[in-house]
Amino acid sequence: MTPRLGASLLRLFAVQGSWNYERMIGLGVGVAEEPLLRDLPGGVAGPAYRAAVARGARFFNAHPYLCGLVVGAAARAEHDGASPEQVERLRAALTGPLGALGDRLVWAGWLPFASGLALMAVALGAGWPAIAGFLLIYNAGHVALRWWALRAGWAHGPRVAAALHDAGLQRAVAWTGPAMALATGAALPLVALHLAAPFDDWARAALAAAAAGGFAVLQLRWPAIGGLRLGLVLVAAALVVGWVWQ
Amino acid sequence: MSIALYRIDDRLIHGQVVVGWGQPLDCAFIVLVDNEVRESDWEQDLYRMGVPPNLEVIFASTVEVAERLPTWEADGRVGILLVGDIDTATALCANAPQVKRLNVGGIHHRPGRTERLRFVYLTDEEAAKLRQLAAQGVEITAQDVPTARPIPLGEFT
Repeated sequence: MTPRLGASLLRLFAVQGSWNYERMIGLGVGVAEEPLLRDLPGGVAGPAYRAAVARGARFFNAHPYLCGLVVGAAARAEHDGASPEQVERLRAALTGPLGALGDRLVWAGWLPFASGLALMAVALGAGWPAIAGFLLIYNAGHVALRWWALRAGWAHGPRVAAALHDAGLQRAVAWTGPAMALATGAALPLVALHLAAPFDDWARAALAAAAAGGFAVLQLRWPAIGGLRLGLVLVAAALVVGWVWQ
Repeated sequence: MSIALYRIDDRLIHGQVVVGWGQPLDCAFIVLVDNEVRESDWEQDLYRMGVPPNLEVIFASTVEVAERLPTWEADGRVGILLVGDIDTATALCANAPQVKRLNVGGIHHRPGRTERLRFVYLTDEEAAKLRQLAAQGVEITAQDVPTARPIPLGEFT
C-alpha cells in the first residue's frame, strides 16, 4: 500500500456525498483520484495534472463501492501516458458494468443478505448483538470491496477487465444472489411471527390478509404500484385506522 | 416477442437497464449499437461483465442494424436495443426505418449541454435532431425507469 492509495481510499468514502444530477458521482471520483495524479510529470502545478484532475471530475456514475476501480484505472492510465480520448473511453466503458455489477453484488446481494441474517437473529431473540453483528459484517464487506477495487484498478490500468474476471469476484457475484434469496426468504416468516407475537389471533389474521392482499396487488398492478408506494399507503392507512380507533 | 424497448442512454448497459427495465420486461437479450464498441474487444468484455449469465449481449454497428433488426424483431424472446447518443439514434432510424419509438433514458451533462430533465441534458443541436426524428414519425419520450411517467418530447425540447 502506498500513502497515495490510502488517501484515495479515504476520499472514496465521500463519493456518495458528491452525488448530483449534473455529474452524478463524477466530482467525488475526481476528488478521490486527485492524490494519485500528483506524481504526473510537472507535479501539481503542471498542465498534465490539471487536465487529468479536470477529466477525473466529469460526469460519471457507477456503484459507489466499486468506483475505486475507475479511480485507480484512470489514474494509472494517466501515468502510463494514455491519450485523453482513451481515458474518456475507459471511464465510459466502466460506467455501466461497474454499476450493474455493484447493484447485483451489493444492493441485490450483500446488503439484503446481511440484513436477512440480522433480521433472523433479532427474530430469534439475539437482540442488540445482532444489530452490532450486522454493522460489523456489512461494513467489513463493503470496506474490503472498496479497497480491492481501488488496488485492482491501479494495478491493471486500462486492462482493468482482467480484474473483473477475478475468480473470487465472480464467485461472490454467483453466490450473493442465491444467498440473499435464502436469507431474506428465511427471515420474512420469522420476522412476521416475531412482529405479530403481541397481537390477538384476529389481528394476526388481519395482518396475514393485508400481506396476502399486498402481494396480490404487487403481482397484478406492478409497475403502476410498486413496493414503496404500496408500503406508504399501508402505513398511512394504519395511522388513520389507529387514530380513529382511539 | 421482439425488441420491447429502443433506448438512448449514454451509460449503455447499467443497472437501470438490466434490472430496472430488463426484469419487468423479462428481457433475454440486449443489442448494443455503437460503432466504436463494435470494434473494441476490451470494451465488449467490460459490457458483458455487467449482465447476468442468462442475458445475451449482442454488439452491432449502425450499418449492421439494418440487416439484423428483422431477425431480432422476429426473435421469440424479449430484447432491448441500446444506443449511447443521439447521432447513433439518428443513424439507427435512418438505417432501420421500422424503428418508430425511442425512449430517452439518460443523456448526461457535458460542456455545452443544458438541463432539460434531471436525466436529460442536451445541446440545442441535439434537441433539434430529436425534433427532426419526431417529425419523421418516431415517437420519442423520456423515461428513465418503467415506474416513471413517459415524458413527451415537446415537454423537454
